[in-house]
Amino acid sequence: MVNHLFSAILFFLQESGTEVSTGAFGAMKEGVRHPDLSKFLVIGALLFIIGVAGVLTRRNIIVIFMSIELILNAANLNFIAMSRYLQQTGSANAIAGQIFAVFVIVVAAAEAAIGLGIVIALYRNKETIWVDEIDLLKW
Amino acid sequence: MQLSSWESVFFWIFGITAIFAGLLTVMARNAVHSALFLISSLVSVAALFVLSGAEFIAGVQILVYVGGVMVLFLFVIMLVNVGAEERGSDEIFNNQRQVTASLIFCFLLVLGILYAVNKGSTVLLKQNQPDAEQLSEQQSQQDGALKKSATGTSRISKDTEAVGNVLYRYASLPFEIASILLLVAIIGSVMLARTLKQEASADDLDPETLREESIHDPELIQLEAAASQE
Repeated sequence: MVNHLFSAILFFLQESGTEVSTGAFGAMKEGVRHPDLSKFLVIGALLFIIGVAGVLTRRNIIVIFMSIELILNAANLNFIAMSRYLQQTGSANAIAGQIFAVFVIVVAAAEAAIGLGIVIALYRNKETIWVDEIDLLKW
Repeated sequence: MQLSSWESVFFWIFGITAIFAGLLTVMARNAVHSALFLISSLVSVAALFVLSGAEFIAGVQILVYVGGVMVLFLFVIMLVNVGAEERGSDEIFNNQRQVTASLIFCFLLVLGILYAVNKGSTVLLKQNQPDAEQLSEQQSQQDGALKKSATGTSRISKDTEAVGNVLYRYASLPFEIASILLLVAIIGSVMLARTLKQEASADDLDPETLREESIHDPELIQLEAAASQE
């Protein structure tokens, strides 16, 4: 039920007005049955925005790092979806999107290691992980 | 790109799981719960990778993120004390003003991205949208050409082969740079997470700081004495 509702909303937002022949309901059914590139992109966009909201609103620095991982994952999802789309349309260098995703994962791993090292050093010195209490650089 | 019958069922299941798990990551009060929800979100995204034919990246995602990064996160959560938010005595979100501002910003971002995707997909639809049946037929033909596994029930994907080929042929320099980046990250995180004692015993501390700190910490006195003898 939730599935249907959600996909209907997504579909309505994306493709309202593009389908003329089979009518809105038929187009909706077709769109749900055959998810295409744009639905992957919408999932990626929603994950990205959830991540941005997490970075902006949470106080716990570790949860902020997790939200950053969510953002990077959304970017990866876009890369992979685009790569698949290009593969199916017969582009020459379609696999490049997957290579980018590998590098994004590498950078995310490095970032997590450094960031968590900083968190540990910070906690040792300031005894807090709330970002609004870490204000040494504030004027 | 279009998915057919069963694939689309899995697409909706995993896509919605990824989004809800992501939401719960941001909303959860306990940081450990956040980490567990993030793991389920990452696994769902890995399943979406499998659906779009990137099996190698899906494997890397599970191995590196879930097996490596998230374990690191859980270790750090347990190292730093986060008792206050579990008990519910502390506010987990920023000030009301900041939350409102960020939610407005995110809402605008949602509208912008959905508009962009809508615009782009209509252009793509006009340009070259192959027929769904035709595509699935083409896909099954491609799958049929793949080698069978030993039991004969499934096909072996060529994705890993293709990624390795392109990675070492066209992206070998970035690959090496990435390895240096990882080395720097390892060294940097070890340096950052050292305690004062470890810094002092590696003779990597300012003598002034050492003298000041050794007043509070009896273990540092010996190191300070050794340093002053030199």
